[in-house]
Amino acid sequence: MPKLKSAITGGASVSLSGPKKTKGRGFRQDDADRHSHLASRDFDSIGSDGGPGPQRSIEGWIILVTGVHEEAQEDDLHNTFGEFGEIKNLHLNLDRRTGFVKGYALIEYEKFEEAKNAISAMDGAELLTQTMNVDWAFSNGPSVGASKRKNM
Amino acid sequence: MAAEEDSGEFYLRYYVGHKGKFGHEFLEFEFRPDGKLRYANNSNYKNDTMIRKEVFLTPAVLKECRRIITESEIMKEDDNNWPEPDRVGRQELEIVMGNEHISFTTSKIGSLVDVQSSKDPEGLRIFYYLVQVRFEVLCILSYLTPLQDQAYLKNE
Repeated sequence: MPKLKSAITGGASVSLSGPKKTKGRGFRQDDADRHSHLASRDFDSIGSDGGPGPQRSIEGWIILVTGVHEEAQEDDLHNTFGEFGEIKNLHLNLDRRTGFVKGYALIEYEKFEEAKNAISAMDGAELLTQTMNVDWAFSNGPSVGASKRKNM
Repeated sequence: MAAEEDSGEFYLRYYVGHKGKFGHEFLEFEFRPDGKLRYANNSNYKNDTMIRKEVFLTPAVLKECRRIITESEIMKEDDNNWPEPDRVGRQELEIVMGNEHISFTTSKIGSLVDVQSSKDPEGLRIFYYLVQVRFEVLCILSYLTPLQDQAYLKNE
Protein backbone atom coordinates (compact mmCIF):
# COMPACT_ATOMS: atom_id res chain seq x y z
CA MET A 1 0.00 0.00 0.00
CA PRO A 2 1.58 3.32 -0.98
CA LYS A 3 2.70 5.36 2.00
CA LEU A 4 1.46 8.87 2.33
CA LYS A 5 4.48 11.10 2.50
CA SER A 6 4.50 14.44 4.17
CA ALA A 7 7.00 17.02 5.27
CA ILE A 8 4.81 17.48 8.31
CA THR A 9 4.66 13.95 9.57
CA GLY A 10 7.72 12.55 7.86
CA GLY A 11 6.03 9.41 6.74
CA ALA A 12 2.88 7.42 6.79
CA SER A 13 0.95 8.33 9.88
CA VAL A 14 -2.40 8.20 8.19
CA SER A 15 -3.61 4.70 7.54
CA LEU A 16 -5.61 3.98 4.45
CA SER A 17 -8.14 1.22 4.34
CA GLY A 18 -8.02 -1.00 1.31
CA PRO A 19 -6.05 -0.82 -1.91
CA LYS A 20 -6.29 2.34 -4.00
CA LYS A 21 -5.95 3.09 -7.68
CA THR A 22 -2.83 5.22 -7.77
CA LYS A 23 -1.71 7.84 -10.24
CA GLY A 24 1.02 10.45 -10.38
CA ARG A 25 4.75 11.09 -10.27
CA GLY A 26 4.66 11.37 -6.51
CA PHE A 27 4.58 7.59 -6.25
CA ARG A 28 7.68 7.25 -8.38
CA GLN A 29 9.78 9.81 -6.58
CA ASP A 30 11.14 9.85 -3.13
CA ASP A 31 12.93 12.66 -1.42
CA ALA A 32 14.28 11.10 1.71
CA ASP A 33 16.37 14.13 2.50
CA ARG A 34 13.30 16.30 2.81
CA HIS A 35 11.49 13.85 5.08
CA SER A 36 14.25 13.51 7.61
CA HIS A 37 14.67 17.27 8.04
CA LEU A 38 11.06 18.01 8.51
CA ALA A 39 9.50 15.19 10.46
CA SER A 40 7.90 16.67 13.48
CA ARG A 41 5.53 15.73 16.22
CA ASP A 42 5.17 19.09 17.93
CA PHE A 43 2.14 20.87 16.63
CA ASP A 44 0.26 23.64 18.39
CA SER A 45 -3.17 22.21 18.87
CA ILE A 46 -5.96 24.68 18.59
CA GLY A 47 -8.62 23.48 20.97
CA SER A 48 -8.86 19.72 21.18
CA ASP A 49 -9.83 18.92 24.71
CA GLY A 50 -10.87 15.68 23.09
CA GLY A 51 -14.58 16.11 23.62
CA PRO A 52 -17.07 16.28 20.80
CA GLY A 53 -18.37 19.76 20.09
CA PRO A 54 -17.61 23.01 18.33
CA GLN A 55 -14.33 24.84 18.74
CA ARG A 56 -14.03 28.52 19.49
CA SER A 57 -11.94 30.85 17.31
CA ILE A 58 -10.04 33.97 18.39
CA GLU A 59 -12.99 36.34 18.34
CA GLY A 60 -15.91 33.98 18.65
CA TRP A 61 -17.54 31.09 16.87
CA ILE A 62 -17.32 30.22 13.20
CA ILE A 63 -20.00 28.51 11.18
CA LEU A 64 -19.78 27.08 7.70
CA VAL A 65 -22.50 27.78 5.15
CA THR A 66 -22.50 25.58 2.07
CA GLY A 67 -24.75 25.53 -0.97
CA VAL A 68 -24.39 29.28 -1.37
CA HIS A 69 -25.83 30.42 -4.69
CA GLU A 70 -23.11 31.35 -7.14
CA GLU A 71 -24.46 34.88 -7.60
CA ALA A 72 -24.90 35.56 -3.91
CA GLN A 73 -23.25 38.66 -2.55
CA GLU A 74 -21.97 39.49 0.90
CA ASP A 75 -25.01 41.68 1.43
CA ASP A 76 -27.31 38.71 0.95
CA LEU A 77 -25.50 36.84 3.67
CA HIS A 78 -25.38 39.85 5.99
CA ASN A 79 -29.11 40.33 5.55
CA THR A 80 -29.88 36.70 6.22
CA PHE A 81 -27.42 35.88 8.98
CA GLY A 82 -27.18 39.28 10.61
CA GLU A 83 -30.41 38.77 12.49
CA PHE A 84 -28.85 36.19 14.79
CA GLY A 85 -26.18 38.49 16.09
CA GLU A 86 -23.46 40.85 15.02
CA ILE A 87 -21.31 39.27 12.33
CA LYS A 88 -17.68 39.73 13.35
CA ASN A 89 -16.25 38.24 10.19
CA LEU A 90 -17.76 37.14 6.90
CA HIS A 91 -15.67 35.21 4.45
CA LEU A 92 -17.24 34.55 1.07
CA ASN A 93 -14.75 33.04 -1.31
CA LEU A 94 -14.82 33.70 -5.03
CA ASP A 95 -13.80 31.11 -7.56
CA ARG A 96 -10.90 32.76 -9.34
CA ARG A 97 -11.63 30.85 -12.50
CA THR A 98 -15.33 31.66 -12.88
CA GLY A 99 -15.67 34.87 -10.93
CA PHE A 100 -18.67 33.44 -9.15
CA VAL A 101 -18.94 32.50 -5.51
CA LYS A 102 -17.15 29.25 -4.70
CA GLY A 103 -20.19 27.93 -2.88
CA TYR A 104 -19.36 28.29 0.77
CA ALA A 105 -19.05 31.04 3.34
CA LEU A 106 -17.63 31.30 6.81
CA ILE A 107 -19.39 33.51 9.31
CA GLU A 108 -18.09 34.41 12.74
CA TYR A 109 -20.27 35.46 15.65
CA GLU A 110 -19.04 36.62 19.01
CA LYS A 111 -21.40 34.47 21.06
CA PHE A 112 -21.95 30.74 21.00
CA GLU A 113 -25.71 31.20 21.23
CA GLU A 114 -25.77 33.45 18.19
CA ALA A 115 -23.92 30.90 16.08
CA LYS A 116 -26.04 28.07 17.39
CA ASN A 117 -29.25 29.92 16.59
CA ALA A 118 -28.02 30.70 13.08
CA ILE A 119 -27.31 27.01 12.52
CA SER A 120 -30.68 25.88 13.86
CA ALA A 121 -32.62 28.42 11.88
CA MET A 122 -30.75 28.40 8.59
CA ASP A 123 -29.64 24.84 8.04
CA GLY A 124 -31.79 23.68 5.13
CA ALA A 125 -33.11 27.17 4.41
CA GLU A 126 -33.04 28.78 1.00
CA LEU A 127 -31.02 31.70 -0.29
CA LEU A 128 -31.79 32.95 -3.80
CA THR A 129 -33.87 29.78 -4.31
CA GLN A 130 -30.95 27.50 -3.44
CA THR A 131 -30.84 25.35 -0.29
CA MET A 132 -28.05 26.03 2.15
CA ASN A 133 -26.57 23.85 4.83
CA VAL A 134 -25.18 25.43 7.96
CA ASP A 135 -22.97 23.83 10.59
CA TRP A 136 -20.00 24.45 12.83
CA ALA A 137 -16.67 24.70 11.04
CA PHE A 138 -14.26 23.68 13.78
CA SER A 139 -14.39 20.92 16.28
CA ASN A 140 -12.46 20.12 19.42
CA GLY A 141 -11.96 16.48 18.65
CA PRO A 142 -11.76 13.97 15.84
CA SER A 143 -14.89 13.01 13.99
CA VAL A 144 -15.09 9.28 14.30
CA GLY A 145 -16.44 7.53 11.27
CA ALA A 146 -16.93 10.84 9.51
CA SER A 147 -16.61 9.20 6.15
CA LYS A 148 -19.55 6.98 6.96
CA ARG A 149 -21.79 9.78 8.11
CA LYS A 150 -24.83 10.37 5.98
CA ASN A 151 -25.83 13.74 4.59
CA MET A 152 -26.36 16.12 7.44
CA MET B 1 -19.51 9.73 -9.63
CA ALA B 2 -21.63 11.38 -7.00
CA ALA B 3 -21.18 8.42 -4.68
CA GLU B 4 -17.48 9.14 -4.33
CA GLU B 5 -18.24 12.51 -2.86
CA ASP B 6 -19.99 11.35 0.23
CA SER B 7 -18.51 8.02 1.08
CA GLY B 8 -15.13 6.45 1.58
CA GLU B 9 -11.80 7.75 2.65
CA PHE B 10 -10.73 11.35 2.22
CA TYR B 11 -7.27 12.78 2.59
CA LEU B 12 -5.63 15.81 1.05
CA ARG B 13 -2.09 17.13 1.28
CA TYR B 14 -0.62 20.14 -0.42
CA TYR B 15 3.02 21.21 -0.34
CA VAL B 16 4.80 24.12 -1.98
CA GLY B 17 8.39 24.95 -1.29
CA HIS B 18 11.94 25.40 -2.35
CA LYS B 19 15.43 25.29 -0.95
CA GLY B 20 17.34 28.49 -1.27
CA LYS B 21 18.99 31.38 0.43
CA PHE B 22 16.67 31.18 3.40
CA GLY B 23 16.83 27.45 3.86
CA HIS B 24 14.00 25.09 3.10
CA GLU B 25 11.02 27.38 2.81
CA PHE B 26 7.76 25.59 2.51
CA LEU B 27 4.10 25.59 3.22
CA GLU B 28 2.28 22.34 3.74
CA PHE B 29 -1.09 21.30 5.00
CA GLU B 30 -2.98 18.08 5.43
CA PHE B 31 -6.66 17.36 5.68
CA ARG B 32 -6.84 14.02 7.47
CA PRO B 33 -9.70 11.52 7.42
CA ASP B 34 -10.58 12.15 11.09
CA GLY B 35 -10.99 15.85 10.39
CA LYS B 36 -7.64 17.06 11.66
CA LEU B 37 -6.12 19.86 9.62
CA ARG B 38 -2.37 20.15 10.09
CA TYR B 39 -0.47 23.12 8.78
CA ALA B 40 3.24 23.84 8.72
CA ASN B 41 5.10 26.83 7.39
CA ASN B 42 8.86 27.08 7.50
CA SER B 43 11.29 29.77 6.57
CA ASN B 44 14.60 30.98 7.87
CA TYR B 45 13.98 34.44 6.48
CA LYS B 46 14.67 36.90 9.29
CA ASN B 47 15.37 33.88 11.48
CA ASP B 48 11.75 32.77 11.42
CA THR B 49 11.08 29.43 12.98
CA MET B 50 8.69 26.76 11.88
CA ILE B 51 5.02 27.36 12.47
CA ARG B 52 3.00 24.23 13.12
CA LYS B 53 -0.70 24.32 13.83
CA GLU B 54 -3.44 21.80 13.95
CA VAL B 55 -7.17 22.03 14.40
CA PHE B 56 -10.12 19.74 13.90
CA LEU B 57 -12.54 20.42 11.09
CA THR B 58 -16.12 19.26 11.19
CA PRO B 59 -17.51 16.68 8.74
CA ALA B 60 -19.37 19.57 7.08
CA VAL B 61 -16.04 21.12 6.09
CA LEU B 62 -14.64 17.86 4.76
CA LYS B 63 -17.79 17.31 2.77
CA GLU B 64 -17.42 20.71 1.13
CA CYS B 65 -13.75 19.96 0.38
CA ARG B 66 -14.75 16.77 -1.34
CA ARG B 67 -17.36 18.61 -3.38
CA ILE B 68 -14.84 21.18 -4.54
CA ILE B 69 -12.34 18.50 -5.48
CA THR B 70 -14.91 16.45 -7.33
CA GLU B 71 -16.14 19.50 -9.19
CA SER B 72 -12.61 20.41 -10.24
CA GLU B 73 -12.18 16.94 -11.76
CA ILE B 74 -8.54 16.93 -10.65
CA MET B 75 -8.82 13.21 -9.94
CA LYS B 76 -9.16 12.56 -13.67
CA GLU B 77 -5.92 14.36 -14.48
CA ASP B 78 -2.36 13.09 -14.63
CA ASP B 79 0.89 14.94 -14.00
CA ASN B 80 2.78 13.07 -16.73
CA ASN B 81 3.16 16.12 -18.93
CA TRP B 82 3.40 18.74 -16.24
CA PRO B 83 6.68 20.58 -15.70
CA GLU B 84 8.95 18.75 -13.31
CA PRO B 85 9.90 20.35 -9.99
CA ASP B 86 13.05 22.43 -10.41
CA ARG B 87 15.42 24.71 -8.54
CA VAL B 88 12.79 27.42 -8.39
CA GLY B 89 10.48 25.19 -6.50
CA ARG B 90 8.16 22.30 -6.13
CA GLN B 91 4.46 21.69 -5.56
CA GLU B 92 2.85 18.49 -4.46
CA LEU B 93 -0.79 17.59 -4.34
CA GLU B 94 -1.86 14.30 -2.88
CA ILE B 95 -5.50 13.31 -2.61
CA VAL B 96 -7.24 10.15 -1.54
CA MET B 97 -10.90 10.01 -2.42
CA GLY B 98 -12.85 6.79 -2.35
CA ASN B 99 -10.61 4.16 -3.88
CA GLU B 100 -8.46 6.58 -5.87
CA HIS B 101 -5.16 8.02 -4.74
CA ILE B 102 -3.35 10.67 -6.74
CA SER B 103 0.06 12.10 -5.96
CA PHE B 104 1.07 14.85 -8.36
CA THR B 105 4.28 16.82 -8.40
CA THR B 106 5.16 19.82 -10.47
CA SER B 107 7.15 23.02 -10.39
CA LYS B 108 5.89 26.29 -8.98
CA ILE B 109 3.44 28.00 -11.29
CA GLY B 110 3.85 31.75 -11.44
CA SER B 111 0.80 32.57 -13.49
CA LEU B 112 -1.54 31.44 -16.21
CA VAL B 113 1.17 32.22 -18.75
CA ASP B 114 3.15 29.27 -17.37
CA VAL B 115 0.02 27.14 -17.62
CA GLN B 116 -0.70 28.13 -21.22
CA SER B 117 2.84 27.39 -22.38
CA SER B 118 3.03 23.97 -20.75
CA LYS B 119 2.54 20.62 -22.49
CA ASP B 120 -0.78 20.04 -20.73
CA PRO B 121 -2.43 23.43 -20.32
CA GLU B 122 -5.88 22.06 -19.57
CA GLY B 123 -4.79 19.71 -16.84
CA LEU B 124 -2.36 22.16 -15.34
CA ARG B 125 -5.01 24.85 -15.32
CA ILE B 126 -7.24 22.64 -13.18
CA PHE B 127 -4.36 22.15 -10.78
CA TYR B 128 -3.53 25.86 -10.78
CA TYR B 129 -7.03 26.97 -9.83
CA LEU B 130 -7.53 24.22 -7.30
CA VAL B 131 -4.40 25.09 -5.35
CA GLN B 132 -5.50 28.72 -5.12
CA VAL B 133 -7.27 27.35 -2.08
CA ARG B 134 -4.01 27.46 -0.15
CA PHE B 135 -4.66 31.15 0.50
CA GLU B 136 -8.09 30.23 1.78
CA VAL B 137 -6.67 27.76 4.24
CA LEU B 138 -4.29 30.36 5.64
CA CYS B 139 -7.00 32.96 5.87
CA ILE B 140 -9.24 30.57 7.74
CA LEU B 141 -6.45 29.52 10.07
CA SER B 142 -5.81 33.16 10.89
CA TYR B 143 -9.29 33.34 12.42
CA LEU B 144 -8.31 30.64 14.85
CA THR B 145 -4.88 31.65 15.96
CA PRO B 146 -2.52 34.52 15.41
CA LEU B 147 -0.07 33.48 12.71
CA GLN B 148 3.41 34.89 12.77
CA ASP B 149 4.70 37.04 9.97
CA GLN B 150 4.01 35.04 6.85
CA ALA B 151 7.35 35.96 5.36
CA TYR B 152 7.43 33.04 2.98
CA LEU B 153 4.07 33.74 1.43
CA LYS B 154 4.83 37.44 1.07
CA ASN B 155 7.89 36.59 -0.95
CA GLU B 156 5.89 34.61 -3.51
